Amino acid sequence: MKATKRTHDFKALALKLNDDSSCPHYIYFKEHSVREHTKDKPAGRTIFIVNVPPYADEKGLTNAFSEAGPISSVKLCIKPNTMEDDIPKFISEKQKKSFQVAYLVFEKVSALDRALQLSELKPLNSESYRIKTGIQKWIEEFNKEILQPKTLKENIEAFMKKYDSETAKEKKKEKKLEQEDDEGWVTVTKGGKIQSFARTEKVENKILEKEEKNKKRKELKNFYTFQIRESKMKHIVMLRQKFEEDKKKIAQIKQSRRFKPF
Amino acid sequence: MVKRKNVSISEDDGESGLINENGKVIFEDKEKKKRIKTKSLYRQPTVNELNRLQETETLFNSNLFRLQVEEILQEVKVKEKVEKRFLQWFTDFKNHLDSIPTDDTEYDLTEHTLTKKIKVKLPISEELKKTKCVFKFHKFETVDIVGSYALGCAINSKLVVDLQITVPSQTYTKNDSINYRYHKKRAAYLAYIASYLSKSDIIVDLNYSFINGCETKPILILKPAGKLQNHLSVRINLVCDTDTFKLHRFSPKRNNLRQSWLFSTTESEETDSPTPYYNSSILYDVTALNNEKLLRDTLLNSENLKQAVVLLKIWLRQRNIPISGQIVNNIVVYYVQTKRVNNIMSSYQIVRNIWIALKTSEWDKKGISLCKAADATPSLEEFHQNFPIVFIDSTGYYNICWQICKGTYYALKRECALAVEMLDNVKINSFIPLFMTPVKMLMKFDHILRFKNMELLKTSVLDKVSKDDKLNYGLDRLMLVTDTVYSLLAKGLGDRVHLILQMVEADFTWPVKKVLSAAKTDSCYEEKLAFGLILNKDNALNPVEKGPPANLPEALEFRAFWGDKSELRRFQDGSITETCVWEGEATAERRGITKQIINYLMDLKYGVKGSDLFHVMDQLDSVLVRKQYAGESSAHCEEACLDVLRAFDELRRDLRQLTELPLDISAVYGTSSVFSYSRPVPPVARPAPRQPYRRAGACLLKQASRRDGLPSLPHYTPVSRAVIELGHSGKWPGDIEAFRCLKAAFHLQISDRLTEQYSLITHAYPSHVDVLKNGLVFRLAIAHPKEITLLKREIENGVVKHKDSEESARLQRDTQLMPRLRGALHGLHQKYPAFGPTACLFKRWLSSHLLSPPHFPSVTAELMAATVFLHPQPFTPPTQPTIGLFRVLRLLAATDWTSEVFVLDFNDDLTREQITELEQAARADPRGRSVCIVTAQEREVGLACEPGPPPPALRRAQALAASALAYLENSLLNEFNDNLLPMFVPSLSEYDVQIVLHPSLVPEWAERVCAPPRRRPPTPHVGDELIPVVDFHPVLTYLDDLRSAYGDFAVFFHDLYGGEVIAVLWKPDVDEYEDFQALNANALIPETVDGETRYKVNKEAIIEDFRILGQGLVKSVNVL
Repeated sequence: MKATKRTHDFKALALKLNDDSSCPHYIYFKEHSVREHTKDKPAGRTIFIVNVPPYADEKGLTNAFSEAGPISSVKLCIKPNTMEDDIPKFISEKQKKSFQVAYLVFEKVSALDRALQLSELKPLNSESYRIKTGIQKWIEEFNKEILQPKTLKENIEAFMKKYDSETAKEKKKEKKLEQEDDEGWVTVTKGGKIQSFARTEKVENKILEKEEKNKKRKELKNFYTFQIRESKMKHIVMLRQKFEEDKKKIAQIKQSRRFKPF
Repeated sequence: MVKRKNVSISEDDGESGLINENGKVIFEDKEKKKRIKTKSLYRQPTVNELNRLQETETLFNSNLFRLQVEEILQEVKVKEKVEKRFLQWFTDFKNHLDSIPTDDTEYDLTEHTLTKKIKVKLPISEELKKTKCVFKFHKFETVDIVGSYALGCAINSKLVVDLQITVPSQTYTKNDSINYRYHKKRAAYLAYIASYLSKSDIIVDLNYSFINGCETKPILILKPAGKLQNHLSVRINLVCDTDTFKLHRFSPKRNNLRQSWLFSTTESEETDSPTPYYNSSILYDVTALNNEKLLRDTLLNSENLKQAVVLLKIWLRQRNIPISGQIVNNIVVYYVQTKRVNNIMSSYQIVRNIWIALKTSEWDKKGISLCKAADATPSLEEFHQNFPIVFIDSTGYYNICWQICKGTYYALKRECALAVEMLDNVKINSFIPLFMTPVKMLMKFDHILRFKNMELLKTSVLDKVSKDDKLNYGLDRLMLVTDTVYSLLAKGLGDRVHLILQMVEADFTWPVKKVLSAAKTDSCYEEKLAFGLILNKDNALNPVEKGPPANLPEALEFRAFWGDKSELRRFQDGSITETCVWEGEATAERRGITKQIINYLMDLKYGVKGSDLFHVMDQLDSVLVRKQYAGESSAHCEEACLDVLRAFDELRRDLRQLTELPLDISAVYGTSSVFSYSRPVPPVARPAPRQPYRRAGACLLKQASRRDGLPSLPHYTPVSRAVIELGHSGKWPGDIEAFRCLKAAFHLQISDRLTEQYSLITHAYPSHVDVLKNGLVFRLAIAHPKEITLLKREIENGVVKHKDSEESARLQRDTQLMPRLRGALHGLHQKYPAFGPTACLFKRWLSSHLLSPPHFPSVTAELMAATVFLHPQPFTPPTQPTIGLFRVLRLLAATDWTSEVFVLDFNDDLTREQITELEQAARADPRGRSVCIVTAQEREVGLACEPGPPPPALRRAQALAASALAYLENSLLNEFNDNLLPMFVPSLSEYDVQIVLHPSLVPEWAERVCAPPRRRPPTPHVGDELIPVVDFHPVLTYLDDLRSAYGDFAVFFHDLYGGEVIAVLWKPDVDEYEDFQALNANALIPETVDGETRYKVNKEAIIEDFRILGQGLVKSVNVL
């Protein structure tokens, strides 16, 4: 029931690439409404669109909704998300082609209502703008990857500067933690004077291992008669286990008709 | 403590169970308990069990081996039901035969009186017409069951029961041994019996045939009527009483076939040469009773010996070595006599001991004998002078191996050596390759020689052989021809081959009412002869055949043998010798030297032209040639790869000597497949681009279009990837992005230094640096284990944990596993030079059936090819790429990939425990491997290899491989078809949509399997100026887009090597209606069904999208 209810919220319209496209995709859109609106997706002016075809871009969508009214921004992403931009990356990941979702923000509130009333969308391509696809697009992307060494150097320097200042800030923060607080507590950090071990999985395993070893060293293994007897038994058990395993293997081979040599 | 309690209780149980056999009622509830306890691993062992457990370790290879032996023996055993039925039938049959009437008439066999009376033809060839003799039928005494069936070591499949009728001695006269008179009378006797049997209703399918293809010794083959005929057939052989002839008449030096008879000349020469071969054909019958008795005495009551015989027979039959069960029996008897084996040994030990004994035997020089009284019988030397292989029976006159060629014997010895090797190899389960795998001709040999015209071959060879030989073999001409050609090949090929084995197909059966010659023409009977060669990879490629020095007398002989090909040559060490030089510059050409030699010798010696010969060896070599460079030496894949490797070695040296870097470069490893010779279309240096747009060292793409409106793209240039390892430093940042940034700085610096120090053309990118060397582009990237650790790092409850992610696994594979694996594969190619081309062929084949990566990862393909070389059992590693491909296809098709694990141990340094560990780890790989081939390298860096093709792709590949093998077998072994390229033609009809691309924009389009080679020589590469546009592959880019955008709805297939079609297959659930969800609304179209709005995938729009996304590249989209 829930699913059908939700579908009725969405409005479906065909989105053509050109005027003469015969088999367009259908996009589904509704007013963007979540509990906490962010600055870039203001309440009342934003529509949320799903099933945007892989080749569509911001400008194309602006074209498509141009009849409803002036548009202030379009944001395309792979998955609907409310988060703001995440950590800056040095090598930006190549965007993979896939169906997208879009947040389209109108300049005026009235345009949104008009958009929800639309019975037809304009094609993505207008006279003044054509979406680049295929070989043209690939050539553009290829050329964009090639940088002048100078530019690359500048990028690296800029990034490292930012990184260095950030780490310096972090260090400062840690130093600060190291100071006694009002109640006399000291937080132990990596860089501090107080020696501590790193809290990693590896170190933890090592400690456990060491303990086990110590325990083992203290044990006598081949001392009492019952121990010797048990070790003999263990040998037989091992042989038996192997025998059983082999029997199982045979059964398996037998099942897969492997014993008919000819 | 609990365990100990258990033990004591079960002990009690055992005793009470023994004593109270009749008191079961009391112990009923205890019985239940006992059953549970017997399952426990800690129960007290019984003496029997202990014995068995210990026995398997000492008497058998392993538990597994013992169990398998038991299973297989059970499987091939003749079923009791069949035995019972046969006994019943045999009693009837015997009674029927006993009532055969005696006939006192004497028939002159040169006339037709006998055949007219009995209404059955004589099973004898026309040539025996001139033999005059008079025949009278004397009734025999008994019919006996002999051979394997009587001894109880018969094999269930294709079971033949041997019956033997002893012809009374008064049928023959003293002189009947001469000039085939014996054979003719024997045939008449057989015909007489046949005529009587033909009236019986307990027999169906009464036919004549020959023993072991020996044309003068006919036998009767028949099937019992009723259900029994599905299980077995019966063979009736005639032998004669031991007192029929004096044995010394047939000693190897005696003549029993006169020249005057054979060549129909009138003058009788005094000195007729000895006819040991002809003699043996009679001796076989004369000694049969004696020998049968010996076999019975030794084997009949020795269960273990009999099991060993059965195992040996299975082993031989799988290998198709023409050694009869009778000889196997005799071999076992011989080794029992010499006390090498006895019945107390387990069957495994017997078989193993016999293999070891045979491995070191020398029956061609030091024959063996079952005869104990050595005084009056001919000496061993006498036999050696007249037979190639000597194994004398208990009478001391008959050579059991009279029909065994040298090739067969050497094959037997070789197989024994291989078998022992397999048994000693603890790393494999040797049982399967030893007993379960059929060793097919196409798989076993590196080179097979077939004859297109047998009649021509026979006449031309018979023209040239000496009269003595002809006399010796008498009417068995095929045998003579085989032996003669064999010795020619053996002499001509010398140490280039490990083995030459002749394969004769001359079994013929025909109805008793037909004359032999008529039957032959009616059924289009043709004798088939082929020779299989296993090449010695060290010598086979040597283009120079060095003979003796010119001043020695041997030089004359050498010259006489090789004819005009032999010439005097002076070598660098100053020696002047007779020498033959064969053509061949590139390795690929030199693989054909054996073919050159055979063609030359057959023409020189017998005038048989190369066009009448058919070689199975290099049929697919054309696929390994770069079509655009046809005629050049770099056209061959291997040579082109070698060029890349050379350039890379230079670059590597340069890199290590770079100065002024903050960290030294400690190592450089290649990771691309070109570095292990396994890239099917390797890069070749090309001239610099004309009028390029350039940015620093790299070349930009132009947005230009050609006259026909299509965009113009530069030639596709692939890159060869390598990783750089830097010296140790603790200063790498602990943040992944900063780490990458620093890497980029290093790339930039390496690029600068390379340009400054060695003036190489370079261009740095954030993720790698491109270097142009000798016209080839190398893509270097810095590899550091810390990057992987950083990618794996996750913080959980304040504890840093490392978890594999997809990205970290990929990085680990690319920077840690692949460099090592590539090195190992390169080493494998150095050891087995056929590896690289084999891998190339296999990848080409997969790709041509649209199973290119990601459907079939290229590493998986390479590892499969490597498996053929590292786990060749039961074969030996191939030396011809074409044969290598057959083997890989067989491996792919015949392996049950869900259960089998292969461990590739390139350097042979893993212990058995390590191997088992690896096997288990691979099985338990959380990513789920579809193809379990693990390498020793993965033990070092963790299981990082690609998990293999998805199961549907694997199944399809297996089905395709099976049909390809069937096709190959038919065209190479039945027909004489040299063009095997149809096996590379895919079937496109099963796909839903075809996206056809513009051929001129498809990289490597000129290298398709079906493309004609270009004759115009390519412009040569001059100097390094600018890095061309590299790694711009529009089709792969397009495929990436398609797969990432529409991977949920369809699967895309493409031939990586110049395929102009992308085949699309919808996923099976694509037509189903789906629920609409905001997160899962991709490609859905609303549809009104029964007044309700429902959603389904908009296939039409997706097809339209194919066109939009591939604008400029796509020619048309066809919906099938």
